[in-house]
Amino acid sequence: MKKKVTIGGIGSVLLGDDAIGPYVVGMLESGYRFDENVTVSDLGTPGLDLVAHLSGIDALILIDSVKNDAPPGTVTLYRKEDILRHGPAPVRMDPHSPALSESLLIAELAGEGPQEILLIGITGEQFEVGAGLSAAAEQATTQAVAQVLTELDHLGISYSKLRKTPYSAWWNPMAEAHPVSDRIAIATPVQP
Amino acid sequence: MSRTITIDPITRIEGHLRIDVEVENYAVSNAWASCTMWRGIETILRGRDPRDAWMFTQRFCGVCTTVHAMASVRAVEDALKLPIPANAQYIRNLILIAHALHDHIVHFYQLSALDWVDILEIPKADPAAASKLAESLSPWTRNSRNELKAAQDKVKAVAASGQLGIFQNGYWGHPAMRLSPEVNLLAFAHYVQALEYQRKALQVVGMLGSKTPHIQNLVVGGVANAIDLDNQSALGIDKLEQIRVLLAEVSDFINQVYLIDVCAVAAMYPEWFKIGSGVTNYLAVPDLPLDSNAGAYDLPGGVIMRGDIAGMQPFKTASDPVFRESVTEDVTHAYYQGEKPLRPWEGETEPQFTGWDGEKKYSWVKSPRYKGQPMQVGPLAQVLVGYAQGHPPTKKYANLALGQVSAIAKVNATPALMHSTLGRHAARAIRAAMLAELADKHWQLLVDNIAKGDLTVHNQPVFPFGEVEGVGTHEAPRGTLSHWIVIKGGKIANYQAVVPSTWNASPRDESGAHGPYEASLLHTPLARPEEPLEVLRTVHSFDPCMACACHTFDPSGRQIARVKVL
Repeated sequence: MKKKVTIGGIGSVLLGDDAIGPYVVGMLESGYRFDENVTVSDLGTPGLDLVAHLSGIDALILIDSVKNDAPPGTVTLYRKEDILRHGPAPVRMDPHSPALSESLLIAELAGEGPQEILLIGITGEQFEVGAGLSAAAEQATTQAVAQVLTELDHLGISYSKLRKTPYSAWWNPMAEAHPVSDRIAIATPVQP
Repeated sequence: MSRTITIDPITRIEGHLRIDVEVENYAVSNAWASCTMWRGIETILRGRDPRDAWMFTQRFCGVCTTVHAMASVRAVEDALKLPIPANAQYIRNLILIAHALHDHIVHFYQLSALDWVDILEIPKADPAAASKLAESLSPWTRNSRNELKAAQDKVKAVAASGQLGIFQNGYWGHPAMRLSPEVNLLAFAHYVQALEYQRKALQVVGMLGSKTPHIQNLVVGGVANAIDLDNQSALGIDKLEQIRVLLAEVSDFINQVYLIDVCAVAAMYPEWFKIGSGVTNYLAVPDLPLDSNAGAYDLPGGVIMRGDIAGMQPFKTASDPVFRESVTEDVTHAYYQGEKPLRPWEGETEPQFTGWDGEKKYSWVKSPRYKGQPMQVGPLAQVLVGYAQGHPPTKKYANLALGQVSAIAKVNATPALMHSTLGRHAARAIRAAMLAELADKHWQLLVDNIAKGDLTVHNQPVFPFGEVEGVGTHEAPRGTLSHWIVIKGGKIANYQAVVPSTWNASPRDESGAHGPYEASLLHTPLARPEEPLEVLRTVHSFDPCMACACHTFDPSGRQIARVKVL
């Protein structure tokens, strides 16, 4: 049986380097073709809703911005034990706060969490509204993509590279066209 | 002598809720709710194409993605006076219902049940007795002794490992915990089962929205779902049937488990029907439009002031002018510049951070007011407004729930008890049951409409050169959501979102009136102020969502929350 794998980008695309997870997912979706048993997903900032994406999978690869003492753009790998080392948040105040370890613990309790977990963390530099990725974070995206592919190799999952097309994120401040506008004809402003 | 308790999940989360309470003689004497980070996300929408706004607003919050997408397209459609094809209304309604069912289930089981359920009491339970009790309350087939024994073994294993995992930080053994071991066990077994049913509800969102957490099928003017009964990749017979089955399974869980658990837990804590009322002004907007012009709705809206249910004022439509003329935002105690309350269309978001000062400015949340009054929003507002209007599904499930509580607690539970912490939980379960029934109805409406040969899913938007303004409302899981847009020459000139948690978490206003969270905490008794479980019970009953949070993971284990008692 082939392993079921979810590759998820975590973060808010509106907040500077927090967009790095969804950005790397966008690069993977536009640049590679994966087996049917691989789900590639921009998970946004799901909080505890992450649990719903953990059921029935064997391996989880997450890409997220991290806060650590490394210089911006550093890629650090974390395994399950690193993530769970400090347990859940001491006070459940706002129940929707980011909840990676909480989600993993709940899935484990239900007996349905993934066995193998890799978090590819990229040290962020700025998290300003609407700022897009910093140069340091953008530079790290190629390395993050490579780490995802290495992990897939390790899991014995095959994939193929598509013809290189430059990836342009729809939330980029400079993005002009994106799929939604293409879906309907452009309405020209008319005189009332 | 009074002490101050601060509950503040610091670091990691960049925008979050902080509660400060003053405690005197083991009861809350004053309270402040604040949000600790400025977002200002709306500002990035200025100058953009209004047809794209929903893609961005969907990212305001990672948990409530769908609701912000929906309110946004509705705001643009309202500005353009653009009717929506009936199919699009039903598809949107089914997505909104499925999302809400998912959200309500998660809220009760994963996010708040452990305020009432003591996990460490579970090993003492007798699974056979728990099963017998459950079978006396519900026809649910997954309450057998074996199933409950398996759930108990899970807890025993976690407890024996010495590491409590997800249960590490509960206030176990707190004197305010009072369920029998058997009821604790039942609630926990359903906590685990709930994971399965909330996922089924999300699956429906994904099937209709083509993706979850971020749906892709919206367009201003309708939806982008291709309807073709014979085509498997389009919305056809197969997919519709799968959706029907999933919704029916979720409906069974809500009627046979969620609603019953809420009533059973509530009946064991009857004093919590007298705690936590606070602001008894309620606001709900009509939702689940039944036709393309949104002239009729399946969820009623209206306003109740000072708890006067009989004096409820209904909104006829989601674009009721009374609603739009009555909403203002006050910044007296919020970190923004500005002198007087403004309507959202004229809203400004110029930060003026001065640091937390309970007498002056202390929150990044503005104070939305309705005719100058603080309003409580959420399932409780919706249920009370529906009850006052004699809305049949509301009455049906509210009477069922109150009857169940009365029978178990041997009291006479009346709608007046709903102005409370437990009232908010009960109302959410009542709303879930009502929505599950309406899901079935809207599924049938969609299928019947398609069967008539109508395959239309969107109408073309046309933007005028001049300025137009619109409001998109949605009665979201946490309450009334409104997006306010000003469009000039086909581009966004201003955009403001007045979200449910802004109504409920708002700080005081210029008159000094408390916001709903703050008011609801006053006089709450605290058995152990250093473990303010009672404060969490009431705050959690609102289902707070300050999310819209930056999701940066902090692997260092730096303290990520604190309870500070001065």
